[in-house]
Amino acid sequence: MDKFKLEILTPDGVIYDDNAVGVVLPGEEGEFGVLAGHASLTTLLEAGVVDVEKEDKSVESIVINWGVAQVDEGKVVILVEGAAPIRGENESEIAKALDNAKKLINDIADSGNAIASVSAKIESAAQRLI
Amino acid sequence: MANLKDIQRQIKSVSNTQKTTRAMKLVSTAKLRRAEELAKRSRLYAQKMNQVIAEIAGRIECSKVGGLENRCFHQIENPKIVDIVFVTADKGLCGGFNIQTIKAVNKLLKEYKAKDVKVRLRGIGKKGVEFYKYNEVEMYNAVIDLSSKPDKTRSDEFIQTSIEDYLDEKIDGLHIVYNGYKNMITQELHVDKVLPVDTDSFDCTKVQSQSMLEIEAEDEEKVLDSLVKKYVSYNMYYSLIDSVAAEHSARMQAMDTATNNAKEMVKSLNVQFNKARQAAITTELIEIISGVESMK
Repeated sequence: MDKFKLEILTPDGVIYDDNAVGVVLPGEEGEFGVLAGHASLTTLLEAGVVDVEKEDKSVESIVINWGVAQVDEGKVVILVEGAAPIRGENESEIAKALDNAKKLINDIADSGNAIASVSAKIESAAQRLI
Repeated sequence: MANLKDIQRQIKSVSNTQKTTRAMKLVSTAKLRRAEELAKRSRLYAQKMNQVIAEIAGRIECSKVGGLENRCFHQIENPKIVDIVFVTADKGLCGGFNIQTIKAVNKLLKEYKAKDVKVRLRGIGKKGVEFYKYNEVEMYNAVIDLSSKPDKTRSDEFIQTSIEDYLDEKIDGLHIVYNGYKNMITQELHVDKVLPVDTDSFDCTKVQSQSMLEIEAEDEEKVLDSLVKKYVSYNMYYSLIDSVAAEHSARMQAMDTATNNAKEMVKSLNVQFNKARQAAITTELIEIISGVESMK
């Protein structure tokens, strides 16, 4: 399976720097997926969930509040302002990550609809892990 | 000669001071490690951010007649009013750390005064704010508890005013002055011109070779508008975390010197104490001997 390098950077550090098979991004004009060999593009991301499909087929969800994605052949760099990855070894860690993610989304004064849809996605991502 | 008791008291007081300064040094060392780590992680983001901005802005600048529309990229020839944001520490006892920043701000103020440009001074950090209050220099606004605990949300709020005023053409420039971290023993003073963004560094030849990016021109401007705001507020945040790291390294050094000085002082006081004690013993002996002599 073709893979590409994915970097997700926040002002507080790198939260993802590894190979990935695919990534789904919450673009300004709608969600879009990126696979290896995607044509180059630069676009703004809005608040939402970034789904990263890793090499071992597992999917990791990362909640972001704003971002810029730069897609190059073989490499994707995402600059985000705030991010909360939903990951953890056990239930309590996942619950904590979930809280962080919800807080991040609620902090941005956006329409209730967007929050609701993102929250639903976060919940389902957490369900997958448990 | 000084009284024995006096010297003893002095020795005790100096060694107590030494204990305090040593503890402060240890605290600063621990805090520095954390602050340094944060600054290091953040630097990566800064590099990518600069890269993306330079790439997009460079492409528009080079391909479009008239250059960029966003005011953040216009080089303003004759600024009328500029913002100067300075970052100092909230606490002292860190050597020349704060005064260096203040001196740099004063120099900048003088330069602008000579050019007849109005300056809005915006301060972060108790030490700098107190200095200008004491000297009765007018400040536009001041925040005093942000520099010791950098917080992205509060830093964004703070700088937002300047960004909006710049876009509304109320101000024509923005400088951030702070003392940044270079390594464990040196700090580096930064006088950064944040707005307008320096476009000289954009290289047209390099940009054109990468012109395969697939975005519409209008989109590019939109991305850039959004990006440049984040760029400025991120710069503000980075100044804060860099300044914290520098503050701790400066304090660590100052406290190390203080501890060494105290050590020296205890040493010389000990010599003094021993001399005084010996003198007292000698006097007593002479008294006894002369007493015995007189009884013969």
